[in-house]
Amino acid sequence: MIETALPPLPALPPRLRAARPAARRGVRRDRVRLLVVDRGTGEIAHRRFDDLPELVGPGDLLVVNTSRVLPAAVRATRASGEPVQLRPCVRRPGEWDALAVQVAAPHANVPLEAGETLRVGDAAVRVVGRREDIPLLWRVRLGVAGDLDLILRHGEPIRYSYVREPVPLDAYQPVYASRPGSAESPSAGLPFSWELLADIRRRGAGLAELVLHTGLSSYQDDDFDLEHHLFEEWFELEPAAAGAVERADRVIAVGTTVVRALETAAAADGHVRPMWAWTRLAIGPEKPPRVVDALLTGMHEPEASHFDLLRGFLPEALLGRAYREAIASGYLWHEFGDAALVV
Amino acid sequence: MSQLHGTVALVTGASRGLGRAIAIAFAREGAAIAICARGQADLDATADACRALGADVLAVAADVADPAGRERLIALALDRFGRVDVLVNNASTLGPTPLPLLADTDPEAFEEVVRVNLTAPFMLARSLVGGMLMRGSGLVVNVSSDAAVNGYPGWGAYSAAKAGLDALSRVWAAEAQGFGVTVVSVDPGDMDTEMHRAALPDDDPAQLARPEDVAEAFVRLAAAGTAESRLEARELLEVAR
Repeated sequence: MIETALPPLPALPPRLRAARPAARRGVRRDRVRLLVVDRGTGEIAHRRFDDLPELVGPGDLLVVNTSRVLPAAVRATRASGEPVQLRPCVRRPGEWDALAVQVAAPHANVPLEAGETLRVGDAAVRVVGRREDIPLLWRVRLGVAGDLDLILRHGEPIRYSYVREPVPLDAYQPVYASRPGSAESPSAGLPFSWELLADIRRRGAGLAELVLHTGLSSYQDDDFDLEHHLFEEWFELEPAAAGAVERADRVIAVGTTVVRALETAAAADGHVRPMWAWTRLAIGPEKPPRVVDALLTGMHEPEASHFDLLRGFLPEALLGRAYREAIASGYLWHEFGDAALVV
Repeated sequence: MSQLHGTVALVTGASRGLGRAIAIAFAREGAAIAICARGQADLDATADACRALGADVLAVAADVADPAGRERLIALALDRFGRVDVLVNNASTLGPTPLPLLADTDPEAFEEVVRVNLTAPFMLARSLVGGMLMRGSGLVVNVSSDAAVNGYPGWGAYSAAKAGLDALSRVWAAEAQGFGVTVVSVDPGDMDTEMHRAALPDDDPAQLARPEDVAEAFVRLAAAGTAESRLEARELLEVAR
């Protein structure tokens, strides 16, 4: 055990958990706050998200995750008539891995039984069994054809307790959201507006896209969540985007999902190639990023696995200072909150 | 032939009339197409006609006036094809027929016409233009009407919504300039369709254009693009000749 001189980070005050999308707080989506942390100088600056075009220029490439969010809290019923909520998060042909939780908050896990059949609308969904590595996840057979439609017809967005009122799915989608498959919003992209993307283009910076379908940020089990079980996520990096990354002077990842995908696609020689694959990569202090030079991210709590990834970008002391300063300055946290840029 | 090979198109209101004709014309020209209408049976018939031409087709029975229906349409199309290059907002409603004068128009009927003819095209385009901006190319075609610019008694709700749609095209075209994304309203002109018969039952069908012929204007537009924000289909057809 190595003793650290750094004091523990304070817990996030509940009032800083963004309960509503920016637009519903009367703030344009691209006018949330932006904490800029400079790794080189250790400086921390307070900007606004729509200052971003001033912070980028020719040679920069912003890479976004265009995965579209599914309404991944799906109403189901057990044979006994007990309602249950499925949270499908890993898609394979005909089969998904899903969390099964109670319909009502706090959405505690519901132990299903291998072989049982659930109803989702008119469809029968068979529970194949548990995942051995992550036993809170159930393998459920939704059928090869129409699996997505079933989720779209009978789901609503997964909503954590700090988001007190239901929010339409649209509010979880970045403006460029495309191929569906994420269980939760790749939320670092939420503050982008069309106007801002156009401004970034005008400044001569490049935009590239990849798809990484996000899994769940919580298994609805505090102890289990603290163990940071990262499961596999599917990503697709097309040749055009891989080429753009190779040519860029500075690669700015929009969101931790983009870091995960790009760093997975980097070969041993550090060069990025096109890839369509599952990733289990965990970025952290022991495995710092090799391809990504800067990170635009939402605000994550120290307990979240996203925070481990930030430790791969920032020395612990600077990360701690940024976190404390963001709290002191009243930045808002989570998917509908403010943003940070690590350069 | 194959003017639209490699293009992914989404056509709403594709089970009948002009929408069906556009879907079939796009299919013939090699496009992959997602089609949508409320009724499954008629939609399936259009899908079969497109598949018979060798097209890759996704048919989604959904009401574009319903947010959940729109999300299903968009998500299923993007899941199947990965992108949408051309959106044709063709789905449209007259509201109750015989067409009432404005002062006699039921407020709920008015709102329904606006939801289908104006809000739905806006929301569908809004869901897709972000991806178009990222790729630096895309086309949104809003099917308009001469009722958008003329004051025909009885056409109040429809007219107002179509005029709004024209305004939407005009502003969006200006905002998208320079980013490879085109937004345009097209007035197809009078055609021999079920909708036309419902609105003007006494018109002589022999005097009306066939939707199959008018659909060629949309093929032309999807293949060549335009710098205009409002067009009449016959202008496009004259160019084609």
